[in-house]
Amino acid sequence: MAVMTMEQSTSRSILPAAFRTAGVDALAMIVAMVLAALAIYLFGNAAMQRVVTYAAIMLTAVLGLQIFSGNTGIVSFGHAAFVGLGAYATGILTMPAALQRTALRDLPQFLAGHEMSFFTALVVVLVLAMLVGLVTGIPLFRLSGSSASIATLALLIIVYTLLVAGREITRGSQPFYGVPREIGLWTAVGVAAMAIILARLFRETSFGLATRAAADDERGAAAVGVDHRVARLAAWVLGAVAAAAAGAMMAQFLGAFSPKDFYFDFGFTMLAMLIVGGMTSSLGAFAGVVVTVLVVEVVRRFEGGGVIFGLQMPVLFGLTQGVLAVAMILVIWRRPAGLFGDRELNLLRRPNAKMDPVKPATDVAPTRAAAGPISVDHLSRRYAGVVAVDDVTLSFEPDSITGIIGPNGAGKTTLLNMIAGDVMPSSGIVRIGAPVRQASAFRFARAGIARTFQNIRVFPRMTVLENVVVAARVVEPGLAAAEAAARRELARMGLERFADRPAASLAYGQRRRLEVARALALKPRFLLLDEPAAGMNAVETAELVSILAAVRSERRIGVILIEHDMRLVMNLCERIVVVDRGRVIADGAPAEVQNNPAVVAAYLGSRTARARQGNDVQ
Amino acid sequence: MIAQQIINAVSLGGVYALLALGLAIVFSIVGLINFAHGELMTLTGYVLLAALIAGVPFPAAVLLAVICAAVGAVAMERLAFRPMRGASVTSLLLTSFAVSGLLKVIFQNGVSARPQAVAIPNWMTGAFSIGDFTIGVGPAISIVVSIVALIALEFFLKRTVTGTAMRAAAEDFDVVRLMGIPANRIIATAFLLSGLLAGLAAMLWVASRASVDPLMGFTPVLKAFIAAVVGGLGSLPGAVAGGFLLGVIEVLLQATLPAAIAPYRDAIVLSGVIAVLLIRPQGLIPAVRVQRS
Repeated sequence: MAVMTMEQSTSRSILPAAFRTAGVDALAMIVAMVLAALAIYLFGNAAMQRVVTYAAIMLTAVLGLQIFSGNTGIVSFGHAAFVGLGAYATGILTMPAALQRTALRDLPQFLAGHEMSFFTALVVVLVLAMLVGLVTGIPLFRLSGSSASIATLALLIIVYTLLVAGREITRGSQPFYGVPREIGLWTAVGVAAMAIILARLFRETSFGLATRAAADDERGAAAVGVDHRVARLAAWVLGAVAAAAAGAMMAQFLGAFSPKDFYFDFGFTMLAMLIVGGMTSSLGAFAGVVVTVLVVEVVRRFEGGGVIFGLQMPVLFGLTQGVLAVAMILVIWRRPAGLFGDRELNLLRRPNAKMDPVKPATDVAPTRAAAGPISVDHLSRRYAGVVAVDDVTLSFEPDSITGIIGPNGAGKTTLLNMIAGDVMPSSGIVRIGAPVRQASAFRFARAGIARTFQNIRVFPRMTVLENVVVAARVVEPGLAAAEAAARRELARMGLERFADRPAASLAYGQRRRLEVARALALKPRFLLLDEPAAGMNAVETAELVSILAAVRSERRIGVILIEHDMRLVMNLCERIVVVDRGRVIADGAPAEVQNNPAVVAAYLGSRTARARQGNDVQ
Repeated sequence: MIAQQIINAVSLGGVYALLALGLAIVFSIVGLINFAHGELMTLTGYVLLAALIAGVPFPAAVLLAVICAAVGAVAMERLAFRPMRGASVTSLLLTSFAVSGLLKVIFQNGVSARPQAVAIPNWMTGAFSIGDFTIGVGPAISIVVSIVALIALEFFLKRTVTGTAMRAAAEDFDVVRLMGIPANRIIATAFLLSGLLAGLAAMLWVASRASVDPLMGFTPVLKAFIAAVVGGLGSLPGAVAGGFLLGVIEVLLQATLPAAIAPYRDAIVLSGVIAVLLIRPQGLIPAVRVQRS
């Protein structure tokens, strides 16, 4: 801890602002925790100390859950299993050898008689958790959303089954006893402090940014070069490690336990704590644990029945579970983001704070090793009976601006999606001047193909700055450099004032510009825009046109845009490709295309076209 | 002997299929994995118990219990999920998780934490012979009920207006609403059907165990979640296929695994399931959904 803070103060200038804020936030939470622990240590009795120790252990576990679920948006039931694994591993490693011989007679030799100290065992458990996390995280490469949640549930059942069935090691469903109860208040607080730092900093790392972006919009994230699978795995492994650390402490805290202590009810408690406080921030996890532990402590006194206020109370089973359930329902109904919302403390970040003026990005050269045109070769895409794109062969030069036009349903977006690596061609090849696997959006983005979407796909729950940092982090060497680059791109688009606001709070036109800023932060060779002016008024459109024209001349990048606004297309584009029913029907300079009879026919119907042609001849 | 195992496997698979189907119907319409589905089973069990104790004849008690499950499901939607309309999938999932936890506590305190015996008529526990095979009445009923329920559901979805609207809603709810079909009716029907299926599954479950307890629905519904995901989340044929597959694999492993490994059965089955998902992340029979650019 001490080293950490010292490093922070000495290297303040090179640390990215996000880490500085995160460090201060973590410190504030740790100070609050230490003060509470100190008060109990000095003035409280042994029972109260146990409650605080328990709270610190649960905080470690819930932060582990938050690192994964909070950042990826995937509800995990599996973290209870990691706590269980940590507890059993610690139990076996720290148990006195003499006791072990009677309690676990059939224990395999390599596990027997270690009699480690708590901290040695903790190190072993954390390494073990990392390995188990890596293996169990593999399914997350392929699954997302509710399927991934159910997979974590399957993991919980698997681990429970193993703990019950592996009698030689765990005593099966009978209580596992004889673990030395050596965990003290300060050890628990120390480990919890580490977990706080881990959870608060993780969300600012490139993995944290990537998981949050993918949680907000998976396609949008892929379009800025985010490989959410690796980032998700990182969150999973770190979460597992924190949960296992909690398990290690839990083993020494309880002394005796059985597999059902780490099954569904425990997972429920962990989730309830996280949800009540707020799933998406470490502050939420912190506050949730504090609130629920206090509530549970009060409720527990009523569970055994007895006489209260002169009333004979019955014995109530599972009252704490019931209260947690009600608390969870109320919070989800009334404050879906949790009691403390989805914000971190952000002590260093003040709204409307004066920021150093940033020089807008102008002469940013594409930093790509690859060069050359985009070419598509006999490209087709069929959906069931519909041929959306039909045998299209085209090529687009860098440092040029091309408009793709055509009637609704002509296949323009499908074509663009294939060029962006977002849609797998049914046949044909897309070449982008770099050896990249077909139809892999994030690899295309990293190879210099940036894009925007018809229905804007910004990351609504991240700040405006973070939206752009996610993309910048893909091409910049470090977070500090990415932050600087992102600020420059925001300044270029005139959005720097909104840097610390959530993207969801921006107006429509601003969100469109944010999406362009985000795409440009990739330092692309090509920028693909899908109806950039859709829904904009005339003033906003004019503004956009001037920005696009400037960007294109400053950076010499290729722009391909789909647009229905003919004035915009004719003013801005040097070349126009007309698509109808999946085929290219015209390709050339704006003036040529405008008078092409096939184009007129596609837009106005063939009879009008013939009539116009007739008039021309006369 | 082998025939007996196959019948057991199919009858267990049928129960899982009914449960998974109920989950899939609701998921396909509202995107909710209903954790409280198991509590509908428990409710059914307790209603049956109460009706039998009150002296209601067995068939009437069964009918009453299944109806209560359907009503319970609709009530659950009205009270817990309708206020959440439009909330994120995660919020819905967590709400159902909390509702499930709350109902468990209510059952534990309102009835009893201990299992209660249910008087199942003798004829249901008997067996009959066809040629050399002896077939248990219970498993046979279970298979027949599952198949009849599946056919009836297929008929409802294919031949009625509401059924057709539900199939359409599973692909694109927004468009269905634009066609003038009331959203509330579709959602209520989805929950009604899932409740009916849970009620039937509960009857079959109780018939083979002759007791009910507050956690009765927990294990079968956990299995049904897995079955629904393996089949393809939100896909009805997938849920049925996943349910039968899981049931068959479980019974066959139970019959063939050596005694030393038998306790690991669930871990083996679920690891296999996850392996299947690695190869086919959308499940065996993926659900069809619209995608807009």
